[in-house]
Amino acid sequence: MSEPAAPPLAALDELAAGEPVAVGAAGPPVGIPGRARSELIQRLLTYGALTALALLFFVPFIWSVSTSLKPLPETANFSLLPHTWTVAAYKEAWTQYNFARYMANSAIVSVAITFTSVFLAALGGYAFARLRFPGRNLLFFVVLGTLMIPDQLRLVPIYRMLTIFPVTHWNLVDTYQGYWAIRMVSATALFLMRQYFLTIPRDLEEAAVLDGAGYFKTFWRVMLPLAGPALAAIAILEFQGTWNDFFWANLLLQSPQHWTMQVGLAQFFWSYGTLWNDLMAASVIALLPVVIVYLFFQRYFVAGVASAGVKG
Amino acid sequence: MAIAVPKRRLFGRTKRPGSTREALVGYAFVFVPMAVFLLFFIYPIGYAVYISRYDWGILGPLENLGWKNYSHLWHDTLFRRAIKNTIEYTVWVVPAQMALGLLLAVVVNQRIKFRTFFRGAFYFPALASSAAITSIALYLLNINGLFNKVFGFHRAWFYDTQTALPAITALNAWTTSGTMMLFYLAALQAIPTDVYEAAAIDGAGPWRQFWKITFPLLKPGHFFVAVVSIIGAMKVFDQNYIVSRGTGGPDYATYSVVLYIYNTAIKDSALGLAAAAGVVLFIIIFLFTIVQWALFGRQEAN
Repeated sequence: MSEPAAPPLAALDELAAGEPVAVGAAGPPVGIPGRARSELIQRLLTYGALTALALLFFVPFIWSVSTSLKPLPETANFSLLPHTWTVAAYKEAWTQYNFARYMANSAIVSVAITFTSVFLAALGGYAFARLRFPGRNLLFFVVLGTLMIPDQLRLVPIYRMLTIFPVTHWNLVDTYQGYWAIRMVSATALFLMRQYFLTIPRDLEEAAVLDGAGYFKTFWRVMLPLAGPALAAIAILEFQGTWNDFFWANLLLQSPQHWTMQVGLAQFFWSYGTLWNDLMAASVIALLPVVIVYLFFQRYFVAGVASAGVKG
Repeated sequence: MAIAVPKRRLFGRTKRPGSTREALVGYAFVFVPMAVFLLFFIYPIGYAVYISRYDWGILGPLENLGWKNYSHLWHDTLFRRAIKNTIEYTVWVVPAQMALGLLLAVVVNQRIKFRTFFRGAFYFPALASSAAITSIALYLLNINGLFNKVFGFHRAWFYDTQTALPAITALNAWTTSGTMMLFYLAALQAIPTDVYEAAAIDGAGPWRQFWKITFPLLKPGHFFVAVVSIIGAMKVFDQNYIVSRGTGGPDYATYSVVLYIYNTAIKDSALGLAAAAGVVLFIIIFLFTIVQWALFGRQEAN
């Protein structure tokens, strides 16, 4: 799938919550015959399945990390731990195979796109939530409608438009500007911001307006600081989406000095397919930012998404 | 994802008319996002249909063909192969990721140790990039890879016409199962616990409880997950492209519809034909999206 389905938001809340939720595992046994045996079977089934699943989900990643720490000849062995521990593969990937450059490119486009789309989503979301103007609902309906348009339909017209941009005739293929332009606004992000702003009580803005603050000042000074969790949530969604993007990056960022991490990984595999330790090192580097974001910001992610009140 | 469609009327006034100034500020705030949506989302639909009616090369439109590109697609053996592969992939990957997602959801919904950890871990492949995950799969399933070593095969899974598409199917079922797990977790929460109490009193064991209660009561969840999975499956591209270096090989075994659109447009510079294929794919996906919204949009709005 080039574009994973948006995560179901209610369940993300569940994902972070450590509290046990008794579903399928019924409450305390109160003298029901056969209960102890039934519970035992359930535990056996659960832990059996858990072991199998844990192997399925952990072995590939552990094996990749292990390989990335081996010298090349050792990748032919099947020892779980390297005999000779080395970060040579990381060094090679980073310098010789240019992944430092691809990492920087990915960072630049991801940060630029995240900032732009968060700002525009907040601005638009605020207007749709709070300001009254004729045609507002119709325009909002257009925003929701864009969620139905698959990237695969947009491929040809967008490629053509970026090759010879309407009116100005710019060629934006293989430029960061072109890539940034087509990803700078996200309907999902705008929608989530609007929903979040709707949950904020009006009193606070009215106080600001009474103090003589203009619309933009009210938005910037009063509403944005209140929307912290939602901003963090969509920032993470946008960052992850852009960082992981292969479809558009591969189409538009064609020359090696523009390759992102994901395009660089694919290109590396095509050119040096059997340098497994280097490929695994590069893959680990490519995964790292998302892992870090996931580990550290999961709480904000959940908080913002839960308050946006959207359920998948 | 089901989105709560606003319940208000599309046209007509809101109760309290705002000031002209407020309206102007409103337009100013939505101007850039709306301009981008119109330019890069709405306009391309019409433009795609327009391009699809032409013999359109790298320099621009050559000849108006009417709807001939569409009939050409119908007779194009490569497009047919792409459709066949995509359907075959969808038919296998959808049940696989649903089953795996459901299993994950049921397991992490039990009282197990380190439950939060396992939930996070199982969701991780769904967060990771397709390029990195595909690289890892290429390594594990290469002819000298761990998979062959452990299970005693001697096969280049991604480079054998028999197994290339199944290997991609397995890979994607694995990576998307975390997302399906979250959908199923949400659906599991909706099942009231007293049903299980009653079943336990009647002496139903965990296996029977699952098949007689959990599984049937998850019906809305199954529908939702199925539609989301189908829509996602029909867009399969990244893995096929990376594994085969864009060729859809070996021998077109991994040639998908999106790969057809991509190669027809970029490699063959036949933009008209590629646009027509894009429109066909859009119509199919659109039908499934309508089903999804009809089934779930309304209940979400309430």
